[in-house]
Parts: sequence; C-alpha cells; structure tokens
Amino acid sequence: MDKIKKNNITQYILKYIPIILLFISVLNEFDFNNLGLIYFSFNFSYILIFYYSLKKSESLGYIYIFIAGLFNDVVVGTPIGISSLMYLLLCGAAAYLRNITLRPSLIKDSIFFLITILIINSLLFMYLNFVFNYELNYFDQIINITYTYLLYFLFAKLFNFFEINILGNRHAG
Amino acid sequence: METSRDDFVIALRSAFLKKGTQQRFSLLSLIFFSIIFLILGSFNFKAINYLEKTIKEIVYRSSFIVSGPENFLENSYLIVSSHLKLYEENKKNVAELSSLRRKDLSQKINILENIKYKKLIDDYFIGDNEAVAKVLIDKQSPFLRSIIINKGSKNNIELGMVVLDEGYLIGKIVEVNFFTSRVLLISDINSKIPVSLQPGDIQGIMSGKDKQEGVLQYIRDKNLPEINEEMQVLTSGAGGIFKSGIPIGIIEVGEDLEINENKMVKFHRDFSQLKYVKVVSYTKEKKVLDQSSKNESETLENEIKDTNQQQETLRILIEQKKIADEIRVKIQKENDFLRNERIGLKKENDFLKNKVLTEKKINQKNKIQDEEMKFLKMNLYYGHKCRKNFINNGYKVGTAEYRKCVLNKGLKVNG
Repeated sequence: MDKIKKNNITQYILKYIPIILLFISVLNEFDFNNLGLIYFSFNFSYILIFYYSLKKSESLGYIYIFIAGLFNDVVVGTPIGISSLMYLLLCGAAAYLRNITLRPSLIKDSIFFLITILIINSLLFMYLNFVFNYELNYFDQIINITYTYLLYFLFAKLFNFFEINILGNRHAG
Repeated sequence: METSRDDFVIALRSAFLKKGTQQRFSLLSLIFFSIIFLILGSFNFKAINYLEKTIKEIVYRSSFIVSGPENFLENSYLIVSSHLKLYEENKKNVAELSSLRRKDLSQKINILENIKYKKLIDDYFIGDNEAVAKVLIDKQSPFLRSIIINKGSKNNIELGMVVLDEGYLIGKIVEVNFFTSRVLLISDINSKIPVSLQPGDIQGIMSGKDKQEGVLQYIRDKNLPEINEEMQVLTSGAGGIFKSGIPIGIIEVGEDLEINENKMVKFHRDFSQLKYVKVVSYTKEKKVLDQSSKNESETLENEIKDTNQQQETLRILIEQKKIADEIRVKIQKENDFLRNERIGLKKENDFLKNKVLTEKKINQKNKIQDEEMKFLKMNLYYGHKCRKNFINNGYKVGTAEYRKCVLNKGLKVNG
C-alpha cells in the first residue's frame, strides 16, 4: 500500500478512478441498470455520483458528470440531456446535504439518497412517459430504486475503503 | 424559524451556485444547459441534432472500444463452454440434421407454393436493399432495448428497415446516423408488431416484455380451435411495415387451449448473442411474365401503340380539316366579294364601252362633219377648177372624182 501511495503516477491515475469508473459505467455494454434479471437491477452511476459529490466533490467535476450524462443518453437512447439533468440534480442534492451536515452518518446519507433518487426517478418517469411517450415498466423502476438504495451501503463502504486505504484520504468517510 | 430558513437558503445557494474546487461551471448553469438541450432537442433544433449526431458517432465507437475487454471475456467464456458441450451438441445435431433433411423437401415445395399464392394476391415482397452489419453496442437499457450497428446512412440504411438474424426478425431501424444505426429490438416494450399465429391464423399485436420474451396484445380471437401444439408467431404484414411471414418465435399453447393477453412469445433468437445482423428493406416484386404472356403483352402494347398513333393521325387530320374549312369559308367569302366586284366592274365596263362607242360615234360624226366642212371650204376655192363646163374638162359635181379633185386643190387625178 505504501508503495502505491509513494508512486506519483499511480497516485495520479487513482485520483481519476471515479471519473474513469463513471465513464466506463456509461459507455460499457455491461449495465448494472439492466442485468437481464427480472428482480434485480441498480443504478451504479447514481451511487457513484452521489457518493463522490457528497464525500469528495473535487474528484468528479460537474462538467464530467454533465458529459457522462450526455454519453449515457446516447448509449441508452433516451432524449439527449435528460441523464445529465438527473445526474446534476443528484449532485445538487449531495452538495446541499454536504452543506447542512455537521456530523456525517451513513444512515442519514442513505435516507437522503433514497429521497433524492425517488424524486429524480419520478421526474425521469414523468418526462419520458408524458413528454416523449416512452412506455416504462413501473415495477422495474421500483425494483431499480430499491436495489440502488440498498447497494448504496455496500458501495459507500467500498469507496470509503478505496479512499482511505488506497488513496490515503483520511477525511473521506 | 427565521434562522433555519436562512440556513436552508444559504445551503441551497452554496450547493447550486458556488463553484467547488476545480469546478469550472456552477451546478445551476450546467442544469440550465441540460434543460436547454432537452427543450431544443424536443423541438428538433438543427444545431442540437448535429451535436447529437456527432456525440453519437463518437460515443458508439468509444463504447465499442470500452466494451472490448468485457466482450473478449464473454466470448472466451462462450467459446470454452461451447467447447465443453461439443460432444453432446454434435450428437444432438446429427439427430436433428437427419430429421431436418426429411422435412427439407416438403418445405421447399411449401415455399414455392407460398410464393406462387402470394404472387397471385400481389403480396409477394422481395429484398430490395440488403446489408450485413456488425453489432457495435448491445446495451440493454431499461428504457430502450436496442443495439447499435456499424452501418448508417452511408450504406443506404433507412429508418424502418427490417433487421434479421439468420432469417428471424429481431427488430427495426429507429435511428440512422452517418456510420451507425440503432435497432429497436422486438423485446422492447415500445416495440409493437402485428403478428399472425399459425396454425389458426389468429391476428394480434406483439409487444416486447423481457429479454427473451414478448407478450401478445389485442388478440382478435381468444379461443383457439382444436390445436394442441406449439404455435408459430410470424409477422402478419398488417400496417405495411414488415413483410408478412417473417418468423419471430413460438407460443407453447397450454392445456386450456386458450390464448390470453398474457401469453408469452418465446423468441427464436437470443438477443444477447447478436454479432452480425442483416438489415433488409422489402419492395413488391414486379410481376414476372412467361414468354407467351410477354408476346401477348407485346402485341397488346403494339396495338395500343398503333391505336394511339391512329388516334394521333386522326386528331391531326381533324385539325387540318378544321383549318381547311376555315380557309374554304374565307376563300368563299373572298370569292363572293370578288364576284360582286367583278359584276360591278363588268357593269362599269359595259357602261364605259357604251360611253366609248357613243364618243366614237360622236367623233366619227364630227370627223365627217369636219371633212364636209373642209370640202365645202375647199369647194369654194377650188370648185371651179374641177367642175365640168364648156371650158374646163372637169368632173360632174357631186361625184367622188369631183370631191377628190376639190380636196387635191383642183388637181385632176387620173384613175
């Protein structure tokens, strides 16, 4: 671990890991959002964006998030700009939570995350359904939100571990 | 109360307006940009469309590259697993091959008959434009089950073209870029395909439901006749989007012999294993004619041509006649006019002739009178020289010799 920390190039690459992860998650064919399982799917991008906007906002620039949203729209086939808007609203919610929180706790963060994804998924659902006449499966959306919320705990722990033990960022948690 | 509201506003303002470290844009401005994109995109604004197309071309290619390692792993896994199953699959294939060989001939006859009958009802479509494309991205999003292929408008791909995988329907083109296109798979919830269930010829609409299944909607006849076998789901051709008879999947009819709206259609193709697809557009075949029909048609065509020519000639002749009639009427009128003129002139001529004759007569009379006057005048001078008396051997007064002599001034002319 110390060797990794000392190596500047590795450190530099590791610093950009969240951005790389975000772009891979939107560009890659393998999508957690749709694993092909009937009762299991989650939105990895939401977890990543929320966590890093909350805990380490300098890791993910808003402009990168905006571009990732555009890319996601293109790959997924949704109207261009909708994912960017949802990602940025998520960032806004995380930034607001960061500003009002004095003593961070994972439970509070996750509850706030749940409320936020409920709101933005509702917005997304309404926009796609009423404006663009996309037919969406309501049940799939609920499953997706539930698992995204539940897996937030797991990924928050993993990102914490990555930040503290690999990057050596003590303030991450 | 007042303080908590202030805190809320400050926190909100800080979250949305403040630029964080290494942030070039505030959150609010980017949200604003996204909304502009959405609004302009929904109005099909040209600049946004161009931007969208550019992003698409870049993203599809990058996505293909980014998905490379994962695809490699997936393919390797598939190769290994298929290798392990090779022996069993071979045994199964041999058995299947022998049964298929038996069916092949009767199927060929059926196909030929089918073509013949379709031609009879003018519903025979042939492949018009065909292209084989590679699947670039196979991202099964929850919003749109679609794939991206590496052929676009450059390769004459057009919206609505049918996409097949080994002859089975898998989707249609819903978006065309210059180098790439998006195929909406039939497993997508938004995909509605008019289908026909065979045997039984039950018409309905199939919508996508799951990765490998579709669901039947709007079925005309819910009760099936006495059919106790799996049913083939084919495109019905209604609506004119798809050609009729493209196989889609099967329905396993249950013991209740009834199809309800939740009946699942199992697709023939596995949409997660698509590598190369065929993009086809169909057009109605121009009727093929045999030699006798061709000759007949040629004769008929010639006859039509001749009739047309005759009709044209007749038309020209009628036109000519019309013109000739007009000319004739004109000439007749002119003729009448000239005749009248001629009669008038003749009358005038006669009148003038009479006048001339009268004049002539008058002139002659005058001349005679003048000659008489001249004779009388000269008679006074030379009469005595020509008159016969006892000293002069002249002429008798009143004779022609006497007159001649007077006019010759008294000179006697012999003979």
